[in-house]
Amino acid sequence: MAYKIAIGTSDGVNVDLKFGEVKSFTIYSVEGKEYGLLEVRDVPEADTSKEAEASGCAPSGCEQPTQGCSVGCGGCGGNSSGCGGPGELTEKIAVIGDCRSVVCKKVGFQAQKQFEKKAISVFDVECTVKEALDKITFYYDKLDNHQSLKVNR
Amino acid sequence: MAKLLDKQRYKCALAAMQTVQAIERALPVLHSGPGCAQKLSESTGSSGYFSPNIFPCTSINEKDVVFGGVKKLNSTIENALKVVDADLYVVLTGCIPEIVGDDTGEVVSRFADSEKPVIYAPTAGFKGNNFKGHEQVVDAIIDQYLKKSDQKEKGLINIWADVPYQDLFWLGNIRQLEKLISELGLTPNTIFGYKRGIKNIDKIPHAEFNLLVSPWVGLSNMKKMERKLGIPYLHYNTLPIGATETSKFLREVGKFAGVDEAKVEAVIKEHEDYYYYLIERYADLFLENRVINKQFTVVADAQYTLGITKFLVNDLGLVPAKQFIVDDTPKNYRDQITEEFKKLNFGIEAEVSFETDGYKIHEEIKNHDYHGYPLVLGGYYEKEVTENLKGNFLNVSWPVQDKVVFDSFYVGYEGGIRLIEDIYTVAVSRFN
Repeated sequence: MAYKIAIGTSDGVNVDLKFGEVKSFTIYSVEGKEYGLLEVRDVPEADTSKEAEASGCAPSGCEQPTQGCSVGCGGCGGNSSGCGGPGELTEKIAVIGDCRSVVCKKVGFQAQKQFEKKAISVFDVECTVKEALDKITFYYDKLDNHQSLKVNR
Repeated sequence: MAKLLDKQRYKCALAAMQTVQAIERALPVLHSGPGCAQKLSESTGSSGYFSPNIFPCTSINEKDVVFGGVKKLNSTIENALKVVDADLYVVLTGCIPEIVGDDTGEVVSRFADSEKPVIYAPTAGFKGNNFKGHEQVVDAIIDQYLKKSDQKEKGLINIWADVPYQDLFWLGNIRQLEKLISELGLTPNTIFGYKRGIKNIDKIPHAEFNLLVSPWVGLSNMKKMERKLGIPYLHYNTLPIGATETSKFLREVGKFAGVDEAKVEAVIKEHEDYYYYLIERYADLFLENRVINKQFTVVADAQYTLGITKFLVNDLGLVPAKQFIVDDTPKNYRDQITEEFKKLNFGIEAEVSFETDGYKIHEEIKNHDYHGYPLVLGGYYEKEVTENLKGNFLNVSWPVQDKVVFDSFYVGYEGGIRLIEDIYTVAVSRFN
């Protein structure tokens, strides 16, 4: 079964972007153990200040919308109707919502939780794109074919 | 082959963290998923200076399965050394890191120069249960910490018994064994429990010999120490409970250690005199044949099934029904243990079955004719089936739900008396 992997890379060689820094995701498509570059998907620029105001909790301390959800408004529980932070996050996650996993240098806790809800695996690693793809496709291939990951040493 | 495990009587090998915890100021460092330690930590008497809730753990997840958990392990050990004040750090690996091939040994070797010793034991659950895990931890100490010594201390003897925490009475039992050995004029050395710890581990190579009191757990450790540290061992396979076995035990240890026979006999006489004084005082209770059950069954690990069977037959004159050993004893030890059940007084032989399937055990108990109400000594699982048969039940092996044991014991002369007290307390309650 074919699937896609989203990678946060600035040069196409190294996984060097944090999830928050990614302006465009590099998408690879995988079939079995074979993978190839599919496309580069831009993340739409969100007007965060507007969103925060619209959701009505800006006065309670959401000057920094990306963090506001966890810090400022206790009541927004990380769902999409939250106070700006998750709103933007949800949009960004939706861009790669059809991928099986996402690979970035770092992925914040809130984002990890959102990915978890969509059953998208998060790999926050610092390595080359090739190494990441090799290891992840090896893993999924074993998993999909119900084979053991056991390494004989 | 898939094997059924109904009513499990042991945990996975990673539960060797209990063995580490039993060594004072030794800290388990877990290379496992976050749920492993949580699941394994449910036993009473495990809080203290280090409790399972603070054991450092790599809490590995999917990412570490794909990319390896070596980095995380390195930082966990590094920071444990900085933050937790322990004498010995024992890295224990769960299933996941061993399946995906993390080289734990290599990571641990990076800490060879650290101020405190760091060792590791492979305790993946697929390698066996916590009896096996216990052996792995002792093996790790032998292989990675101890060094051979030519300086032997006269009369110093290392005592090894069954698995801490798995054996409800581990602390009391090992103290009682120490006491008996010191009465022979020898110096006991044990590593588990209060005020033992690393200083006693350091003494191990200086001992004249190792004394193993267990049907099979730890035998491979003894062989390893003989090979690597040049320490001979005496394997005493029956947990001595009551006068018959304890006297036998003292004679055998005395002989092996070269203790003057008269001295051994003097120790035995003093104990037996008091033991039989107590028995005599309650002879009316023992001779009242309606009080105690005619036949009994023990469902426990090898040490208690064997030890209690010998005690109840030899000292109390009860008749054994079928006995069950539920610790998944390795096949190569089974014949020798079965033979022991044939060496009972009065020419009695007991049938024994190595069985881990609780359903089958309960069916056999239900279908056996005990010539009256049965007496069942076992884990808590046996309570209901015994009650349905209107029998008498005593919880002596894991799992334990209906009693709290701090440092009580069943070993030795005194331990035999304790066991009689416990059994008869249950038996006489019936008439109230």
